Amino acid sequence: MPEAGLAVVKPEMKSYIWLQTADGSVQQVEEEVAMFCPMICREIIQAGMGSSKNHAISLPQRVNPAILGLILDYCRFHQATGHSNKERKSFDEKFIRMDTKRLCELTSAADSLQLKPLVDLTSRALARIIEGKTPEEIRETFHLPDDLTEEEKLEPLGNITDDPRIRLLNRLYARKRRELREREKLKNVDVEDERADNRSVEDLLSFINGEDGDSKGGRNSKNKKKNRRRKEQAKYSSSNNPNENQKKESDTLPSVSPNDEVNDILAASPIKTSNFQDCSAVTFSPKLDFDDADIDDDLDPAMKEELDREVEDFARRLNSDWPERMQEILSLDPKKRPVPLSMNGHGTSCGYSGSFLHSFFLPSFFLFWFLMSICFGYSASW
Amino acid sequence: MGDVEDPDLISDLPQSILESILTRLPIRDAVRTSILSSKWRYRWTTLTHLVFDDKCVRMCSDRPVVENCMVNFITRALFLHQGPIHKFQLSTSYLQCCPDIDQWILFLSRSDIKELVLELGEGEWFRVPSCLFNCKKLTCLELFRCEFDPPPTFKGFLCLRSLSLHQVLVAPEAIESLISGCPLLESLALSYFDSLALNIHAPNLKYLCLEGEFTDICLEHTPLLVAMSVAMYMNDEMAECLEQSSKCNFIKFLGGVPLLERLAGHIYFTKYLSIGDYPGSLAITYSHLKIIELYQVSFEDMKEIRVVLRLIMNSPNFKELRISGSSTAVTSVEAPNLEFWAKECPKDCTFKQLKVVKMTDMSGVPHEMEFMKFLLANSPVLETMSITPCVYVMDGRLNMLIQLVRFRRASAEAEIIFLPDETLCIP
Repeated sequence: MPEAGLAVVKPEMKSYIWLQTADGSVQQVEEEVAMFCPMICREIIQAGMGSSKNHAISLPQRVNPAILGLILDYCRFHQATGHSNKERKSFDEKFIRMDTKRLCELTSAADSLQLKPLVDLTSRALARIIEGKTPEEIRETFHLPDDLTEEEKLEPLGNITDDPRIRLLNRLYARKRRELREREKLKNVDVEDERADNRSVEDLLSFINGEDGDSKGGRNSKNKKKNRRRKEQAKYSSSNNPNENQKKESDTLPSVSPNDEVNDILAASPIKTSNFQDCSAVTFSPKLDFDDADIDDDLDPAMKEELDREVEDFARRLNSDWPERMQEILSLDPKKRPVPLSMNGHGTSCGYSGSFLHSFFLPSFFLFWFLMSICFGYSASW
Repeated sequence: MGDVEDPDLISDLPQSILESILTRLPIRDAVRTSILSSKWRYRWTTLTHLVFDDKCVRMCSDRPVVENCMVNFITRALFLHQGPIHKFQLSTSYLQCCPDIDQWILFLSRSDIKELVLELGEGEWFRVPSCLFNCKKLTCLELFRCEFDPPPTFKGFLCLRSLSLHQVLVAPEAIESLISGCPLLESLALSYFDSLALNIHAPNLKYLCLEGEFTDICLEHTPLLVAMSVAMYMNDEMAECLEQSSKCNFIKFLGGVPLLERLAGHIYFTKYLSIGDYPGSLAITYSHLKIIELYQVSFEDMKEIRVVLRLIMNSPNFKELRISGSSTAVTSVEAPNLEFWAKECPKDCTFKQLKVVKMTDMSGVPHEMEFMKFLLANSPVLETMSITPCVYVMDGRLNMLIQLVRFRRASAEAEIIFLPDETLCIP
């Protein structure tokens, strides 16, 4: 064995290289094995390091002792010349059978040591893990935070390849989840979730002021309604409410919009809104285009009609004007009142996610409306 | 969903690794990673390799819907893409002639595209737009089933290293000027051309692959050619007019390739080479030629046999020989001239490096047997000679074996393996 401080190379003995990992522990490795890594090779040849314990080659931070062991196993096998290609391949296949966490660490370490064959091998393994999985599964495998807002997820960017029906279902589910979460947050009086709060307060206010014809509030409400409608249209993506479309179109421009939602949406997809090609809007179905009347998805006519019928119901509910709805309800028209959905209120999942909104707000809405109308009914401006 | 306490495993890997992971995913999965988390939202948009194929969109029986889906998908993906695109591959049978493809190519021509592969469906062939010829940095071009019409001002792709044209409609002069206009061209593959006459002038060409009906090929200037694979189809009229030409095809083809290491000729290649008068004085040595593969050699045509002999005798270092006989049962009109072997074959010719010989589709005609005899007698280091008889020959097999057993072998190590069934292959 080499003395401390001297590496004596005898013909019958291998020479060893000293490696030090980031945590301070030092290991001895056969030289030919270590030389398989370009980074270590460079350190030995150019810097002359590694020949003794005091001059151990310090490895990059991403290499911890356990991973170093794995890497050295890999190098030891592959630097030996006697193996056939088939043997190498089967070794590789067995080698990368490990849990995902270790695989990622291994990739990172191999990259810092510039061991390209191992990086390729691990990248391929990671790609195989990702391939074919749903986003939820991928997030779970890699512990990714689910920190995209629902709007961002629902944009066509992420779901441009799915079957339209599945896309629709995903959107409905996502919307329902979002509503549930907002209800939770509202119950906790979470100030951070401005969106839900905004809507609750501003909707109420806008309703109150909407009939006064006030510009600011009216714009708010109309913008908000337009936003929500735009979002909903983006989700359902079928022009099934031409009447309401036309009506909304004649409304205000969204350009001056203090509303956070619109800014969010705009900010979330700057690329999409900046370029418009000359081809028909059909090709791109720009979901956040302000000319909504033309929305036409890549659904063929038969499917479109079917979907139209399917979503017309809840779209109608969701898209209708607040004042109109209130009129409906207040006029106590039994046909139009969403009795079975709203009165259930609290926890029923009937698939019409819009009803949650209604179900939550309507009871308190009644109260508030009465109060507010009494208090503010006098003032013409707000 | 994900556990907030556990650290994110993968998003902190270096960008190059994440890109290589995303590149290995089918494009559809790569795009879907955009909804994983905020860090992954635009990660796929900087990929430099984009490969679109039939798996991009969900299949359904309605063809226009699939076409529409695919066009939408690709257009949106290109739109959202950021940064340069180095490789773009489109391999699908659903798209044919589509105005969107023109626009994609226009977009790519502005993104420093280096590798372009277009493989479209049968039907109306796609006409390559002129913006393709503005892609200055193109290094690799592969076109399937297209119409290729360079504008008159087109001088060539100066960086092009690899060119593959399969079933491409293009004027012959255009191909020649294209080849000569690409000074760095190293690999050329042309297939399924009809009646093409070609002069190949490519100083850096290393790999050549030709397949189709070629009336006249001349490797005018290809000094660096290393490997060549030619499949020559011929119809009768071509054969006739070729017979009459006096220029030696052998010289035209193999006259200027001193560095050739591997030669593979299929179908009528040997016949093509045999046409023309070979000036006996010329002796070209292929000192690097190691592997010779000549398929469908008709051992009843003396000229073809001479071509084969000429080739192997001028290649002092060749190691492996694969020959297959012409399986069309041709009944010889005249008695085989077996004296040829005695008179014209030099006695002192040895194949010093020949180790492996594989002969397939052997019908047992006398010339074939003489050829085997010749090889066995002159290959001192031969290791294996495997012979597979033609499937049509049932009676002559025993005869072949009897003759084979008798031949003298120069190599003590030589194994003669007679494979009655072609599916039984020796490892």
